[in-house]
Amino acid sequence: MLKDITIGQYFPGNSLLHRLDARFKIVMTLLYIVMLFMGALYSLVFGVVYCVMALILSRLPVKLFWKSLRPLLPILLFTAVLDLLFITDGTVYFQLGFFKLTEDGVLTALQMVLRIIFLIIGSSLLTYTTSPIQLTDAIERLLSPLKKLKFPVHSFAMMMTIALRFIPTLMEETDKIIAAQKARGASFDTGKLKDKAKALVPVLIPLFVSAFRRAEELATAMECRCYRGDVGRTKMKQMHAAARDWAALGVTLVFLIGSAAASLLL
Amino acid sequence: MNVQLKADHVWFHYTDEEGNRTSEDVLKDVSLEIKKGSFTAILGHNGSGKSTLARLLNAILVPISGSVWVNGIETRDEEQLYEIRRHTGMVFQNPDNQIVATIVEEDVAFGPENLGIEPQEIRRRVDEALRAVDMYEYRLHAPSQLSGGQKQRVAIAGIIAMRPDCIILDEPTAMLDPRGRREVMKTIRMLNEEHGITVVLITHYMDEAVQADRVVVMDDGKIIMDSTPGAVFTKPELLQAVGLDVPQAAELLQSLKEAGLPVEVTAIDEASCADVIMNLFA
Repeated sequence: MLKDITIGQYFPGNSLLHRLDARFKIVMTLLYIVMLFMGALYSLVFGVVYCVMALILSRLPVKLFWKSLRPLLPILLFTAVLDLLFITDGTVYFQLGFFKLTEDGVLTALQMVLRIIFLIIGSSLLTYTTSPIQLTDAIERLLSPLKKLKFPVHSFAMMMTIALRFIPTLMEETDKIIAAQKARGASFDTGKLKDKAKALVPVLIPLFVSAFRRAEELATAMECRCYRGDVGRTKMKQMHAAARDWAALGVTLVFLIGSAAASLLL
Repeated sequence: MNVQLKADHVWFHYTDEEGNRTSEDVLKDVSLEIKKGSFTAILGHNGSGKSTLARLLNAILVPISGSVWVNGIETRDEEQLYEIRRHTGMVFQNPDNQIVATIVEEDVAFGPENLGIEPQEIRRRVDEALRAVDMYEYRLHAPSQLSGGQKQRVAIAGIIAMRPDCIILDEPTAMLDPRGRREVMKTIRMLNEEHGITVVLITHYMDEAVQADRVVVMDDGKIIMDSTPGAVFTKPELLQAVGLDVPQAAELLQSLKEAGLPVEVTAIDEASCADVIMNLFA
């Protein structure tokens, strides 16, 4: 059951989107989010077109994105219904008792649903086409100006790398502990919610103890490999911004300006 | 000159953060010299002090009294820790807890990156180290996709890529299946024979210790035997007295001797044991 979690999943490939510099991809994703949330429905169109374009360029199956959207369907439905119920301005299309279906309500609901859907697709595109290590490296470099303000950028990136590294290890361990507790007669799927929560305590305690032990061993092993934070440290993989990265950023900016113009003028 | 590691009258016990003693003496007056380019096995059962000795040899721990020298540098000198560790690599028991990165080649690069080596040179060393442990084709895998033996070989590659003169392995095969153990032992022998790296192997498997040039047997914080595998394993009574196994060949000859046959315990492997027995009939 724990194997279904797909945080930070990466699908290796060789498309244009895979080859773009991770730093640019992060910046472009942020600009894209601005595009989505800037204003009226017309400016949203730019974001949608941009995202569909990127999706085609990624050459990833659309099925993947459907998978990441499916768990969010209830939230989408809930948002849409709330908007339809409570926004009562504008032309009334239909009225039943106190319930009024209005133009503004329909428009807002449509916008919210589109925004959430394309937010998820866009950010999934980033993690699907960028390996976790490239992602953390890129974050480290993008945040590096903060070093001047004494923000521990390197430690932060190292923490993220180690967390990603240990997700599968700790999942495997959790499965083992659950199996061991089941063998001793523990039950995890029966009883009320409260009982289920209680049943998890004997799983979490050994997991925490072991995680701390692992952390200590890992720290010793890192010290033995001469780790001293980012003092005098180099990187095997250098990041070079290529022409295609600047071109992609250019296209993104054009879309952003288009979207801003649309929300101001229309 | 020719000494890689040296322990001089080392005493050690564990202490808590305030410096209060929290254990009995774990090491009692241990002195040991390890030559450059040698392959030494330190053998002992649990609690004999062998892992503590390993940690002292890499300056993870510092002796309470006495001194430890690595390449002529005393481990008490905290300013030199970095220098000590770039020349003395350490491989631990649990491969999962020493792999830092999410991709095999990134992990192997971790050590050289810490040393501040040029990117192209790191790339070269990483490829070379992965080929040396026969894991090159797995360079883009995630560590979680590998078996225990493969992970331990990646951990060893991570150390080789730093180009140390000496590698200390603290029970590197304890958590592996028989196949993983064989793979790792083959890699360790290759490092010593082909790359001339000084190897110190901490183990409680005597079939691994047999492969070394020198076997140091520890019991209760003291070195009780220090000789060639041939000399150590042909003294079954001594080994059994401290709770260690004896190679089957030596055990068989010992039983024959006790039964009154005119044999001496001189063999530790099957082939030479067979020769000894054939000589009985000659």
